[in-house]
Amino acid sequence: MDEGTAYNNTLPKLLEEQYLKRGEAQVAMRVKDRGIWRSFTWKEYYEKVKFFCLGLVHLGLKRGDKVSILGENKPEWYWADLASLSAGATAVGIFTDCVPSEIKYYLQDSDSTFVIVHDQEQVDKILEIKEELPKIQKLIYWDHKGLWFYDDPIMMGFEEVIALGREYDQSHPGTYEDLVSQVQPEDIAVICYTSGTTGLPKGAMLSHGNIVAMTRSWLEVDGWQSGEQYLSFLPPAWVTEQALGVAGSLISGMEVNFPEDPETVQENIREVGPGVLFYGPRLWESVVSMIQAKITDTSPFRRFLYNSFLPLGYRRAKLLSSKETPGLWPRFLFALAHFFVFRALKDRVGLSNIRCAYTAGSAISPDILRYFQAIGVNIKQLYGGSEQGLVSIHRDGEIKWETSGPAMPGIEIKLSDEGEILIKGPNTFVGYYKKMDAYNNKMTDGWYHTEDFGHLDEDNHLVVIDRMEDLKELKGGRKFSPQFIEIRLRFSPYIKDALVIGSVEHDFVSSIINIDMENVGRWAEKRHIVYTTFTDLSQKPEVIQLIREELKKVNRSVPEHSRVKRFLNLHKEFDADESELTRTRKLRRVFVEDKYGDMIKAIYGDKTEYRIEESIKYRDGRTGRIENVIQVNRVEG
Amino acid sequence: MDNGTSILKVEDVTLSFGGITALNNVSFEVGQKEVFAVIGPNGAGKTSVLNCINGFYRPQKGRLMFRDIDLTRLRPHKIAETGISRTFQNIELYTGLSTLDNLMASRHIHMKRGALAAALHFGPTRKEEIKHRAIVEDVIDLLEMTAIRHKPVGLLPYGLRKRVELGRAICAEPSLLLLDEPMAGMNVEEKEDMARFILDVFELKEIPIVLVEHDMQVVTDIAMKAVVLDFGNKIAEGSPMEVAQDTRVIRAYLGEED
Repeated sequence: MDEGTAYNNTLPKLLEEQYLKRGEAQVAMRVKDRGIWRSFTWKEYYEKVKFFCLGLVHLGLKRGDKVSILGENKPEWYWADLASLSAGATAVGIFTDCVPSEIKYYLQDSDSTFVIVHDQEQVDKILEIKEELPKIQKLIYWDHKGLWFYDDPIMMGFEEVIALGREYDQSHPGTYEDLVSQVQPEDIAVICYTSGTTGLPKGAMLSHGNIVAMTRSWLEVDGWQSGEQYLSFLPPAWVTEQALGVAGSLISGMEVNFPEDPETVQENIREVGPGVLFYGPRLWESVVSMIQAKITDTSPFRRFLYNSFLPLGYRRAKLLSSKETPGLWPRFLFALAHFFVFRALKDRVGLSNIRCAYTAGSAISPDILRYFQAIGVNIKQLYGGSEQGLVSIHRDGEIKWETSGPAMPGIEIKLSDEGEILIKGPNTFVGYYKKMDAYNNKMTDGWYHTEDFGHLDEDNHLVVIDRMEDLKELKGGRKFSPQFIEIRLRFSPYIKDALVIGSVEHDFVSSIINIDMENVGRWAEKRHIVYTTFTDLSQKPEVIQLIREELKKVNRSVPEHSRVKRFLNLHKEFDADESELTRTRKLRRVFVEDKYGDMIKAIYGDKTEYRIEESIKYRDGRTGRIENVIQVNRVEG
Repeated sequence: MDNGTSILKVEDVTLSFGGITALNNVSFEVGQKEVFAVIGPNGAGKTSVLNCINGFYRPQKGRLMFRDIDLTRLRPHKIAETGISRTFQNIELYTGLSTLDNLMASRHIHMKRGALAAALHFGPTRKEEIKHRAIVEDVIDLLEMTAIRHKPVGLLPYGLRKRVELGRAICAEPSLLLLDEPMAGMNVEEKEDMARFILDVFELKEIPIVLVEHDMQVVTDIAMKAVVLDFGNKIAEGSPMEVAQDTRVIRAYLGEED
């Protein structure tokens, strides 16, 4: 591959190159539709992009315009993206679960003139807000189901636009090639909105050069091959899918596979058998719990096999992570384990052919990574973001569960005095759209301030702990990250949620635990522990001891000062209906700490019991009062 | 509103079982562009109407005309061949087969090849199967059943089985669709989904629908016209809003005031 020439540095040119090189001979992408995998060659990919681009141009799209795209992972997303880029426009990805008011903000803030959406659901959202969006010229949709009788003149079908483009190409031959040659590496390719912990979301602008640089250094590490299968399931509005899916396939020629529906991914992944896969942490967690649930249900003999071979897997994973080459005997044992258990297990969850599996975000428990490495799935952790691009990644054979790996090629990482991670490199974004002040605030001498707290370990692996602002301070100024501990606690099958507490008034860290009723209940039944309700179960001395052991385990993996010294098992579950959790099951820390203020005082007091009287509201509107006694427990060591 | 030419005529139908009169001189017409609801309290004879239309019951008196075919003396499988397809209140599916196979089974009346050709499965037979599969896949897409395509129907939750049943009825490419309480036993969300699917089917496939239902809310949401039965007698007919305000209908539903 000819690296780094200016000619290569825009995505439309990369597409043109692949088209000239592979044309009809090779498949570029595949989508399951109507129960059948339909493939598109590089020629078809190129032509869809070309004609859709010309269609947009015919409808009035100009260089520098913004095109918002709102849909699930489908070939049309990629085509719309590249078509916009070919015309010199910028693509703005919007998440499909956004509500109309959020979409309105993104469309207004980005000055979008075209919106390209998936289906009726998204069309309805746009039609609801279209009066307030005078800049929008066309609303283009690719799945016409349910839209047969819509007659808003702003709407147009995807194929209609392609047909327009085809005509336009006949009357204006060579236009597309001209447009592509005008696109420069410095042009803004995508705007990714960051959720932003404070204030409104900001649009991070990434140039073609940013994305190509990011993908090149990633490719340098993992060398995806043409013909290798990639399953596209990351939200395309996210910079990582832009780098791995869109640019990754354009540069390496790997084949992109789109699932039929978000609900069918588990089925589709088995059919594809991808070699390259990127799941968010939650999805990996759900794969593990799916396996665990199936193991519980399987025959005793199979369960026995699984339980006897899993430790072997763990042993091998440990050897590999410490850069040691396992000897002949462990290798033989692992081959046995693979043959009898892991091979079938991986096949069931579609991970048989995985060469590189990825996850990102500090929010994954190291135990999840360790588990996948144990069954022979090469899972790696990355660190990155819309602004900083991709920063670090695990290299094969040097995987440390607690870290996000060493820096990507070409990226510099340093730490500020407060422990904030600073980044410099060609990946780093060009600025926030229309908010350059915010950009300047975050850059000093070319170093980007990530607002993430972390450190580099002895092997120069990056360890990301938490957002700077989410760190808490204990008496005496020692900092700790509640979230860091909570994530590790949540990996325990017996703990569903945990709130880790500590502030400048306190000497030590403590925790409120929400036990996992199902698993703890099953555990109790096996030991003939009789219980009635959730409250009763949570306060059983045996259960308290069980949770204490889990806390001790987690305590071993965190710095001395941030170990949980006291805890109590909450008498009820954290509940979204009571605003204790968000709808996505994230703990609403401030609210919960406030609600249980007295309880927290009791934890730090010297009593061993806490009485809680609560008013409860029945469904029919009556209210009642219940008194519960909760044990305050200590953890030694 | 133009409800199109009349496609189904029920004329003075009387059906009795021994001394019980299930239907007494019931008449109504269903238009080509109509979602037509048959409503009434329990035991009013709603399902009996559907059973007469598709030939499970034979009325003692009266006539049922579908286009220009007299259904009154036809056997159920012959009626199915005229293009009338239905769902059942208590779900009648092959529970051991997958969703896909259940839907393929309903294509049976359109399959022309014999058993031997099907067993050999090459050439035209294969082509035929591909054609039928494409039709079935369109329905799977329309009713959002991709995730349950290969799941045995017996393992599906109730709401989804109802959906599979609707799918099976549509796969037969009917020219008249009879739905027997498609929303019975569903929660609000499932009802909303089902209502949307029924309207989608009606709009896209342009199939007239006769719907038996006792939930007035559902009827006012999706039907254009309704007939109300009480103890086998037709007591009202008109738009759902009209019949909902009819005093006789309110009396039948809520009981008589002393």
